[in-house]
Amino acid sequence: MVCLFVLSAFYLFHQFSKGLDERSDKELIAEEFQWIEYLESAVANGTAYILRTGEVSISPVNAPVNPYPIISNVSGDNFQKRPDVSYRELRQVVPIQNIPYQIIIRKSQEQKSALVAGFTQIIILVFAILFLTALIFNWLISRRLWAPFQRSLHKIRTAELDKMKATRFEETNTTEFNELNASLNYMADKIYRDYVNMKEFTENAAHEMQTPIAVIQSKLELLLQDTNLTAEQTESVVQATGSLTRLAKLNEGLLFLAKIENNQYTSTHPVNISDTCQKYLSLFSELIKNKDLVVETFFEESFETMIHPLLADSLITNLLGNAVKYNYNGGVIKISTTKNKLEISNTSRLPAIESANLFKRFGMVRERSAESNGLGLAIVKKIADVNALDIAYSFNNGFHTFTITPKQSK
Amino acid sequence: MVNCSMKILVIEDEAGLRESIQKYLGYQGYICETANDFISAKEKIAQFAYDCIVVDIGLPHGSGIDLVKELKWMESKAGIIIISAKNSLEDKITGLESGSDDYLTKPFHLSELNARITAILRRRNFGGSKKIQFNELELDPEGKTVKMGEKTIDLTDKEYLLLEYFISNNRRVLTKAAIAEHVWGDEYVKVGDYDFIYTHIKNLRKKLIDAGGNDYIKTVHGSGYKLSDH
Repeated sequence: MVCLFVLSAFYLFHQFSKGLDERSDKELIAEEFQWIEYLESAVANGTAYILRTGEVSISPVNAPVNPYPIISNVSGDNFQKRPDVSYRELRQVVPIQNIPYQIIIRKSQEQKSALVAGFTQIIILVFAILFLTALIFNWLISRRLWAPFQRSLHKIRTAELDKMKATRFEETNTTEFNELNASLNYMADKIYRDYVNMKEFTENAAHEMQTPIAVIQSKLELLLQDTNLTAEQTESVVQATGSLTRLAKLNEGLLFLAKIENNQYTSTHPVNISDTCQKYLSLFSELIKNKDLVVETFFEESFETMIHPLLADSLITNLLGNAVKYNYNGGVIKISTTKNKLEISNTSRLPAIESANLFKRFGMVRERSAESNGLGLAIVKKIADVNALDIAYSFNNGFHTFTITPKQSK
Repeated sequence: MVNCSMKILVIEDEAGLRESIQKYLGYQGYICETANDFISAKEKIAQFAYDCIVVDIGLPHGSGIDLVKELKWMESKAGIIIISAKNSLEDKITGLESGSDDYLTKPFHLSELNARITAILRRRNFGGSKKIQFNELELDPEGKTVKMGEKTIDLTDKEYLLLEYFISNNRRVLTKAAIAEHVWGDEYVKVGDYDFIYTHIKNLRKKLIDAGGNDYIKTVHGSGYKLSDH
């Protein structure tokens, strides 16, 4: 566009300059005519006429006659005056009463330069304004035109799997966008359906596993009652029971996660998390005592948040349970709450947790002991997410710390 | 034992689980009948009187909840325990509101089911004593106290719960997981550390022996503990 502007500006300037030249040429010719007429009468009196002024020079010469006047641009070197000013010059040798006279008429281009300068200024101004308005209009129009697209883009960017059902790309006035939005709607529907299917599958699979687990567990329990079992056989049964318990807990965890995702736990009133911590500290007192753990609590202020009591319980049992489970004998657990922060830290022989796997389902199974089912922190994260809480992990001076804060509203 | 000749009906469609329950309850001296679907269960309920009914919610041809309602409508005196794979709060509330006395989520320990049946039967034993008699020991579930003859044995809450659990599952091997879940709750099973149980059982045994009683509680090597009266 800039190119086009420059080109058209050049063209306009050229035309204008040509127009100006033509006009001054006509003037020159008209003036020449007047001079010739005047010379005819002046020379008829028998006098040789010589005139030299700044603009006109007339003198008889010995030169062939020109049939046409020659008009050209010259800089003002011939006529001493001002060398920087250019002139339009008409030069012709005309026979007057059979004597060839050279007529040179000059017109200062100063006026023209001024005109050109003025004109250029105007042109530049006009074009600048034109350019700017074009830009602004362009921007306005494209903004209007692309608004539906931007809306769709925003929706795609902010889309969340579990809220995909509500994600709709509405009709617009543009066919192309309608096509795009229709495809996006189709895609969103499909993603949501797949997501629901997957979720339901997990839920159903976990649910269907409950009964076989119950059967196996009851059979193992009966088997254990058999007094004829050898020590080795008993050992096998106990190990199988242990693994089965783990499987049952894993299943329970998966079902629990599915329920949280289905928003089956909505908060109705605030829960005092500090109280929940205290409740589970006394509940876990046996484990804490057994491991000789030192518990330091700093309940400066109560940390209250809107959360379903069951989720609050699960949040704290998981965090506190981990703090006990992964601690060493004689280790330390620190719990502190302020008005908007809960911090649980514990000592452990385990190295810092890799943040990439931290809250992933089964992300840590390989690193942790056999007692872990790999869901604890995923549940914690999920609970935090659905209750507008942020959870952060840090590792400092041998202390693994989990910090829960209310989500910063953006 | 008080529970001799108590009649129990187990309504469960899963054959494996049904047979396990029947066997375990049989060990503990109960007369145990079974039904495997809604229709046969309904027939049995209509024909016979039971002291306790264990009913699964998801049955072929009908829901266990409807059976519970039916029993209530019949003004049955039977204690009712629902066993279900559903473990949400709502399911439990629905179950208990329909008139059942207890709700147990699958999978469960047979010893746990047995302990709950025993507790319900004891609570429903309107005519007789609500106390638990085991040889020279007498347990009072309401006051959570234990007497040996005239002498009261001073037990902590947990020790009392342990003893009661052992007595209702007399002669059965109890795994540490089952004990932890019954006495300390589900959260302990999640942490998966049962070492602390040993201390409590040691203290309980010591208190019983110090009071002049027999050492009923035996360690079953590698698997758990067992109360034995002989």
